[in-house]
Amino acid sequence: MTNLKQTLAGMATAAALIAISVPASAGTLENMERERAVMIETMLSGDLDNTARQGRMEITRTRLVDLERQVLRDKSLIGKNRPLVRAAFNNYDLTFVVHASVEKNRSVADHWLSEIGLSTQSVMNARSGRR
Amino acid sequence: MKIMRKRHTNLAGEWLAVAAMALAITVAAPSGEAAAAEKWAPVASEKLMQLPGDFLRKAVDNDFARSGLAEELVSLDEQVTFKRSTLADLQGAIERTDDADIRLDLQHQFLNEKRNYIELMRENQDIRRKRAATKVRLYERLLENLNRQRRATTPQKAAFIAKQTAARERFEASASQIDERLLTSTMASESRYAREYAKNLSAVQELVASINAHPMNAAPAIDGRPVTRAEYLRQLIAENQGDLAVIEQERSILGHMAKLVSLDALALSEGLDNEAYAEIDIDDDEDGPNRVTSAVEFFTTR
Repeated sequence: MTNLKQTLAGMATAAALIAISVPASAGTLENMERERAVMIETMLSGDLDNTARQGRMEITRTRLVDLERQVLRDKSLIGKNRPLVRAAFNNYDLTFVVHASVEKNRSVADHWLSEIGLSTQSVMNARSGRR
Repeated sequence: MKIMRKRHTNLAGEWLAVAAMALAITVAAPSGEAAAAEKWAPVASEKLMQLPGDFLRKAVDNDFARSGLAEELVSLDEQVTFKRSTLADLQGAIERTDDADIRLDLQHQFLNEKRNYIELMRENQDIRRKRAATKVRLYERLLENLNRQRRATTPQKAAFIAKQTAARERFEASASQIDERLLTSTMASESRYAREYAKNLSAVQELVASINAHPMNAAPAIDGRPVTRAEYLRQLIAENQGDLAVIEQERSILGHMAKLVSLDALALSEGLDNEAYAEIDIDDDEDGPNRVTSAVEFFTTR
């Protein structure tokens, strides 16, 4: 009976330890940031025509939806006060750009540009000149 | 008659020794503690901190039950039980005998057994005190670790965690709406990650519900009222400090018993024995054998 109790206690401890030490997926934030950079690059690239840009943006957007969710669900990032993590959570609208854009019913490009302070109006009002 | 007198002189010497030893027992209180000190040394580990609900107390009790100190306590309890029956037998024999010599011999044995009983009870109390004191120390260390962890969260970090929580809440609040819009607006079908995640999520939710309903996962509670882990630890500390106080009180009872034994021994040696003490029937006693109060009648009876 005592042996059985000890075995059961051991099993409980082992199971608890397994539960505690589930390894977190590494680099979710880095993966997302890489994809976000690609998307912004695609958005600003002058070498692409509109159709090609639209096609690439669509692929990147689909990928970003998953990557953004992976970051938001990544428990290993909770309380991790690294500069990259801090910067990511400082501005939801810029970091989780696809989710935020859908939430606000805007295209990703429009949303991103407005978040960094560029609107059609401000571009139209701009004057070209030498600095 | 001469032989009898000589025998009485020897007995008187022995009774004086019993009296001296009984008094010594009351003075030499914590002698057994040092020997027992290393037999149970639980560690305030991180693993212990993460145990849910009342499982912490059970884990500590199980750890004690496996220790050498617990074995010693069980063995002492058995010895105390035997000693009590010996005392009851001797007490009965003294009451029944009419022969003065036999009665004197039995009284002598009775005194010796009382002294042995006090010695056993003192060891028993030492172990119980050690157990309660170790528990108090352990729970205090756990409480300290808990407070340290809480202090380690700076205001900046707390603000950062709040931002992360807000981001997650915002996402959770809009996730289904976003899914709907994304699926209707794009030609692309749902991704493999989204499909697998949704499939796993229902399994996870089912498991989480089972975990939450599991009795071993109940949140710490005092009298059925849910409390924080810190409050729960403070309650455990208070309970064990209460045990310590009771043991201290029992120690003073033991001191009184020892004093009575020494006085009885002196009375016998001086030939001043009288039957003035009230006799109490041992069968009426309902206390456990390891409670010092259960043996008081032996000491109020000669």
